[in-house]
Amino acid sequence: MRRNDSEKLQESNCREVFLWLCRRRRRCRVMGPSMRPLLSTDDEVLVDMMAYRHQLPLVGDIVIARHPTQLGQQIIKRIKGLNGDGQLYLQGDNPDPAQNSSVMVPESLVLGRVTSRFAESK
Amino acid sequence: MKTLTRTIHKLFPARMTASAHCDGPCGVYDPASARIAAEAVLSMTRKILDLDPGDTSHATVNSLSRYIAIKEEQAQLAKTDLLILWTDYFKPQHLEKYPDLHDTFWQAAKLCSAVKVEVSIEKAEELLVVIRKIHNIFWDTKGREVAYYTAG
Repeated sequence: MRRNDSEKLQESNCREVFLWLCRRRRRCRVMGPSMRPLLSTDDEVLVDMMAYRHQLPLVGDIVIARHPTQLGQQIIKRIKGLNGDGQLYLQGDNPDPAQNSSVMVPESLVLGRVTSRFAESK
Repeated sequence: MKTLTRTIHKLFPARMTASAHCDGPCGVYDPASARIAAEAVLSMTRKILDLDPGDTSHATVNSLSRYIAIKEEQAQLAKTDLLILWTDYFKPQHLEKYPDLHDTFWQAAKLCSAVKVEVSIEKAEELLVVIRKIHNIFWDTKGREVAYYTAG
């Protein structure tokens, strides 16, 4: 399955900010160019850390995940593919192949789904 | 709302960060590292099998322990290098040209495990055959002809 509005990211509205104030969303700062042009360095997004407790990840979701090989690093990527044994294929949006490296991560390393853009860096 | 969130962002930047960098140093990948580790596994397997199983002297037991430890370490290294190549370098568009890419890497990863569990020259040689196939696919995706060679 694929999320309908996968190529866009809504701006944080009153509901999103309210959920953040209620600690149902976490703010996260983007570092690096792999999600350009949608997200740039120092942009902030809101993340639903409970998103996948009751629903499965979908192709098109932007997620925060633990890096599978670099301990302690969190990455922000888009889900490009799912396979049957719980592995997610994540890749950046950047059209430049040198800037959008992909990574395969088990579903258990996904921390949450990005729900909106909280603020732009500019 | 935008003004409010921007003000919060400026005054209190989020502490949680997520990296959107490219993972490797921008495209520095080479299956050679996996090949070298796999060759070491083959070499250690041969050395283990060359030892006299009836010889329980300290020197022989010490050599056997060292060979096993190195075989274990190098097999894991080969597996890690292959998995990084598979997950970080190869992209869906490569699958169109090489539909058995996933199977090839899966087979290679399984062989890395097999050479740890067993003392099998056949499995170690089979691993090198699969790595050679990966070498050919990898350099073909780069549009370069790089001859395969082994150090051993």
